Amino acid sequence: MLWNRNRTLWPMIAAPIVWAVHFCLTYWLGASSCAHLGSATPARIGIAIVTAIALGLIVFLGWRAWLRWDYRSDQDYVHDGPTTEDRRNFLGHAGWLLAMVSAIGVIFVALPAVFIRSCI
Amino acid sequence: MTVRAASALLLVSGLSACSGPQSVLDPAGRDAQVLASLFWVMFTGAVILWLAMNGIFLTVTRFIKREMSERKAETLIIGGGIVFPTVVLAGLLTYALAEMPRQRERGEGLTVRVVGESWWWRVEYLPDGSSEPVVSANEIRLPAGSRSEIELAANGVIHAFWIPALGGKTDMIPGRTTRMSLEPVTPGTYRGQCTEFCGESHAMMAFGAVVMEPESFDAWLRKEAAPADPPESPEAIRGREVFVTEGCGACHTIRGTQAQGRVGPDLTHLGGRTTLAAGILPMETDELVRWIRDPESIKPGARMPGYDHLDDARLRALATYLEGLT
Ligand code: HEC
Ligand SMILES: [Cu+2]
Repeated sequence: MLWNRNRTLWPMIAAPIVWAVHFCLTYWLGASSCAHLGSATPARIGIAIVTAIALGLIVFLGWRAWLRWDYRSDQDYVHDGPTTEDRRNFLGHAGWLLAMVSAIGVIFVALPAVFIRSCI
Repeated sequence: MTVRAASALLLVSGLSACSGPQSVLDPAGRDAQVLASLFWVMFTGAVILWLAMNGIFLTVTRFIKREMSERKAETLIIGGGIVFPTVVLAGLLTYALAEMPRQRERGEGLTVRVVGESWWWRVEYLPDGSSEPVVSANEIRLPAGSRSEIELAANGVIHAFWIPALGGKTDMIPGRTTRMSLEPVTPGTYRGQCTEFCGESHAMMAFGAVVMEPESFDAWLRKEAAPADPPESPEAIRGREVFVTEGCGACHTIRGTQAQGRVGPDLTHLGGRTTLAAGILPMETDELVRWIRDPESIKPGARMPGYDHLDDARLRALATYLEGLT
């Protein structure tokens, strides 16, 4: 099967992709708002919105990954067996950790917009 | 040399770089003070982290070798390896970001326009409200106690403008105007340096940076705006003749004379500068002679021809004339 739920890497890297897109949008908002509108306020509002959306998505993806890891039921964080369950748990575990990193990344990328109020 | 002597020497030469006219750790401006304390906070933090990391490492490998409970090990790794650095980094990032707007604030009063040339600095002063700039070169003077606006441009290739004792640095990009502002605090003579590789004499592209009390700055700027004083001594008068006959005025301006060239630095008040040839030589007759005779031997690639066909007497007269242009 091409799209096997327990094998595909997409859910694992979805959160870092959200982070990457958020990063690009933040830079684009800053540059275009200052170059075309001459004010940082639209950029700051835009960054607040994309940050809220990105964090929402990451929380959702992290929650999904947490469920796939299935830690609550067996407290297991070694998944090196050649079984479907181990693969599924491993991808969930890695996805959950990547979601945490992505959330921190998104917050750090958005932080300058909190402090810097002007284009200069 | 023994290892101990060598390391002592290294330490001393390292420490001696911490003070002086071109040191971030010897600040004379508000922005530089903030950057220096930022450095010390980060440095202290790094030292503590380094000691703690190695302390833990040493403890678990040498002193407490018995097996740790899984819970304890997990707490150590998650707490010390993930939560702690995230919190520390977030704190340091916030602390540094909170300072940024102030560092980039607009200056009030004076605007200084600086254009990076190969390998010197074109400088124009625009006091508040004036439209006619006061042209100078290879030296930046600023009044203490207020924030001045610095406009930056470049001719041909990229450069960067940095006076470590006063603040951060900013790139100078051909075809674009960049900006920064500086708020000097302590009057004194400092040094700036080009900090973006710009060609063979990049390392020799520096400048004197002088911070003055506001009243003496105003007096200086009035004098800088005036045309050059005519030479008085017979030697200086001869020097002016050499300047005219050798055609130096094709590239250099001396306001109040026929010399109106814009290719090289403005020489109207050359003798009043603290340094010669963009911060690399002292402003002395001998050095002027050496420079005019063969600029290439001092600054590889310098865009000024050498005048080694002139005899010593004429070179000396020329130098006396230029040095007298205070
Ligand atoms: C082809 C143009 C050209 C001619 C002709 C020329 N110069 Fe220059 N001169 C320059 C340039 C360009 C510089 C800057 C070089 C550098 O620092 O890289 C310079 C720098 C100088 C400086 C140092 C300025 C400073 O701010 O410290 C002096 C002094 C000087 N020239 C004197 C002379 C004299 C005297 C003559 C005639 C005998 C002369 N120049 C002829 C182009 C010229
Ligand atoms: Cu340069």
